[in-house]
Amino acid sequence: MKEINVNVCLGTTCFVMGGTNLNELLEIVPKKYGDKVKVSGSPCLGLCSINWEYSKAPYVKVNNEVVAEATVEKVLNEIERQMTNEQ
Amino acid sequence: MFIDIDCTQEKKYNQNTYGDYFVSKRYPEAGRLVAVLSDGLGSGIKANILACMTSTMLLKFVEAESDIQKACEIILNSLPVCKIRKISYSTFSAIDCDDEGNAKIVEEGNPQFLWIRNNQILEPQYRIITSKTFSNRHMHIYKIKLEKGDRLIFCSDGVTQAALGSKDLRLGLKREGLIDIVLKELSTEPNISSRELSRRIVKSALIAEPDHKAKDDISALCVYYRDPRESLIFTGPPYHQAKDSIYAHTFFNFQGKKAVCGGTTANLISRELGIPVRNDLHQISGKLPSISHMEGIDLVTEGILTLTKACEYLETEEIGKDAAGELVKFLLDSDCITFMVGAKLNQAHYDPTLPVEIEIRKNIIKKMKKLLEDKYIKKVTVQYM
Repeated sequence: MKEINVNVCLGTTCFVMGGTNLNELLEIVPKKYGDKVKVSGSPCLGLCSINWEYSKAPYVKVNNEVVAEATVEKVLNEIERQMTNEQ
Repeated sequence: MFIDIDCTQEKKYNQNTYGDYFVSKRYPEAGRLVAVLSDGLGSGIKANILACMTSTMLLKFVEAESDIQKACEIILNSLPVCKIRKISYSTFSAIDCDDEGNAKIVEEGNPQFLWIRNNQILEPQYRIITSKTFSNRHMHIYKIKLEKGDRLIFCSDGVTQAALGSKDLRLGLKREGLIDIVLKELSTEPNISSRELSRRIVKSALIAEPDHKAKDDISALCVYYRDPRESLIFTGPPYHQAKDSIYAHTFFNFQGKKAVCGGTTANLISRELGIPVRNDLHQISGKLPSISHMEGIDLVTEGILTLTKACEYLETEEIGKDAAGELVKFLLDSDCITFMVGAKLNQAHYDPTLPVEIEIRKNIIKKMKKLLEDKYIKKVTVQYM
């Protein structure tokens, strides 16, 4: 199975919009999926500036899929979704 | 040349304040620095007031007179004498020097300073001026030319008389003892900062005391002529994207220390120069995003929030253990700081519904520049892109 990469945006907008809570993923993900899913941070995914009037920060990318207004739960759902599709 | 100056003090055992006093002031436009170290008669609060008065007044006089010799003569002729002990209320050493290495030094009553070049003690010529009002009071005046790498060490008699009367050092450390301490430190660490060297002199003087307690106020003032430590900070993407590559290369080719403040900025440099950015998310310490890592760059942080927090630390002098704290350490470890400030705005930062008010980058940098110049005496240049 292909490895899943979770990339959390640590840019200014995402951080103040709740990105801080997403570092819980660091504990939850390895416990749940072991080394099948890798969590890392990105200085900025550059997504808030594209559609800035309707920015949906914080953003997380699960492989190439963007999770907008990300919460731990939303990110975990996306991981599950991609894993099911893979199977 | 940059003048690195610092003073370390230790108060006399059982006293609650310092009896020696140190003041210094830089005049960046004239490339000039004036510093005074004064030792007040006795110890504790009385000595502190005497020394503080002498040094601050002397500094003001030098400022107003622009000639240190005249300023010192005024003090020499007017400082009162203790009725009982018939000695001066305070002694002093004063230095007026510039970036070119021209220095005028005046001493009255303090131990003679050390002038060190290539680990050798130089013995400069001096003139003696006797007070018109007190015939037992003399001033030594030196006019010397310093070179890069030269050091000057001034101290109060608490250093040269440390361990006085002890079994091993009946006459105290004396000038020879001080020379030994300084030359030993310089041979193990030739580029030691003035701050660290002055600390070690005071520590060595304390160790020399049989019970490690200061029997007099101890002060060591060090001056070091060296190349300035330069650093460059890149924050914010340039207004014209077409110039990204030029700015990224200018930044990377800089010889001093380098920092990047901003997620988009870090990505820009990573893209233009092909250096990956690593962030392990582990160090988020509540209010600020963690530090990232890029090869060849000393510090990589988030932008606006970190800069705002760093300004706060510079103002309050309380440095937290987060990315802003690291940035402040980076800034304080430099003498000349250049900011490359990108003028492009990220509109998403100014959404009024954001839970935190975000300042405009240009304004934060303006505030930081003023703080670094006025409070920390750094040389700061800002370049907008």
